[in-house]
Amino acid sequence: MSRLDNAIHELNHIEDVAGRDQWVNNIHPLVKLALTIIYIIIVVSFGKYNLSGLIGMAVYPAAVFILAELSFKDSLKRLKVVLPFVCIVGIFNPFFDRIPIYNIGSFTVTTGMISMLTLVIKGVFSVLASYLLIAITTIEEICFALRLIHVPSIIVTQVMLMYRYISMLIGEVERITKAYSLRAPGQKGIHFKVWGSLVGQLLLRSMDKAEAVYESMCLRGFNGNFYYSEKHKFVMSDIIYFAVWLIILLVFRFVPIVRAFGYIFG
Amino acid sequence: MIDIKNLIFEYDRGIRVLDNISLSCKNGESVGLVGANGAGKSTLLKLLVGIADKYEGEIKVDGLDVNKKNISKIREKTGYVFQDYDSQLFMPKVVDDVAFAPVNYGFAKEEVDRRVDKALTQINIEHLRDRHIYKLSGGEKKLVSIATILSMEPEIILMDEPSIALDPKNRRNLINILNNLGQLKIIASHDLDMIMDTCKRTVLLSGGRIAADGDTREVLSDKELLESAGLELPLRLQK
Ligand SMILES: Nc1ncnc2c1ncn2[C@@H]1O[C@H](COP(=O)(O)OP(=O)(O)OP(=O)(O)O)[C@@H](O)[C@H]1O
Ligand SMILES: [Mg+2]
Repeated sequence: MSRLDNAIHELNHIEDVAGRDQWVNNIHPLVKLALTIIYIIIVVSFGKYNLSGLIGMAVYPAAVFILAELSFKDSLKRLKVVLPFVCIVGIFNPFFDRIPIYNIGSFTVTTGMISMLTLVIKGVFSVLASYLLIAITTIEEICFALRLIHVPSIIVTQVMLMYRYISMLIGEVERITKAYSLRAPGQKGIHFKVWGSLVGQLLLRSMDKAEAVYESMCLRGFNGNFYYSEKHKFVMSDIIYFAVWLIILLVFRFVPIVRAFGYIFG
Repeated sequence: MIDIKNLIFEYDRGIRVLDNISLSCKNGESVGLVGANGAGKSTLLKLLVGIADKYEGEIKVDGLDVNKKNISKIREKTGYVFQDYDSQLFMPKVVDDVAFAPVNYGFAKEEVDRRVDKALTQINIEHLRDRHIYKLSGGEKKLVSIATILSMEPEIILMDEPSIALDPKNRRNLINILNNLGQLKIIASHDLDMIMDTCKRTVLLSGGRIAADGDTREVLSDKELLESAGLELPLRLQK
């Protein structure tokens, strides 16, 4: 499989996972969306030196991984592209913020290191939460939930088209590069002289394609609204799921759980 | 019912793709639409469902003028199979794509499932149900694209090259399916033999005009007429 083929395969794989008939997959999409947003807000709201409190927030992604029976290894593999960027965000903190707190042997831990770690963990948790949302909710369900909270339909439609469209775009790139390499044998990569025209081709083709896909959706009843049948009425378990998580998240936010464990066992 | 009067259409100013077309089709009719490459077959079908617009003249589908106001009502009644199956399909899995229309029209889950099953069975592709679309062969995609409109259970069916990319057995099967559908059908195709097997009436387009409109056997056996429009006799009538 070429790298592009692989990318399409990955995208489809995530959608397969999202469409499974697992218990968490069937929770109302609005509940999952709301919890993800609340979770990210809470994570971001931690003070920049509150490392021990923040670590407790791992409870949500960890639990969802288990509930949804997702593979942690596969997920890390998928996230490996994004995570380095998240880590770069905090990289300068240790240089600016150098008040020492304590020593481990000859190594001095400064406030800057703690704040860097906090920032990185915040980023990682937020990325993880968003990833988990996508992994347990299909894109149609997410769009449906976005419409329920009155995000304008034009934005929601853009989100969905973009998602639907990525794999087609990759497919198009693959076709063009294949056609190119068949007629330019023995060449490694694509000669820079033709980059311009290939990119131009790609742009034209993808615009046509995007238009055709949009037309095809409109012809089959799509009008910017997302309809879902009774599968998506709120039921008791949705409300309980939401309430339980809300309580857990708030407790972990405002009660210093990790430190408390430290006192009990330490 | 489809009623077209004095239709004129151009994509780019000055180049008439359709020039003064008048055509009317009754419910239950099967109409073949033939003509050389670039004759305007696809364009005519696109105008009927409003994906090409800004025409002159009059187009009515089921008594409704084709315009912005009526277009969603018209589309609800009309199934349109694209010539290019690759752009018609956009969901990852066959079953999702076939279910797309019924879900969007707000049917309950049981009804959606019933329609999906029926459409897949009709086309003989139950085995493709859970397959990924990007991994299907060209012909399989064509069959799926036909199933996606059958699940709409439309009143009017417009097909652009439905038999393209199909092997002989699936082509024969498609002909049987088409003959069993009681709706008004317009089938644009270069497969004149298939048109002979499915359509009583044939419209021949040439240079943006209607060169002939009548009984399929008569139109498609008129060698001179066909050749003047850039076509040849159907294979079975050759020699
Ligand atoms: N989007 C477009 N913009 C400009 N011109 C177009 C566009 N689409 C089609 N045309 C032109 O309109 C004419 C009719 O095209 P159309 O696709 O209707 O032909 P067709 O009869 O379906 O041909 P084919 O048998 O090749 O499918 C052609 O000359 C074509 O070049
Ligand atoms: Mg055409």
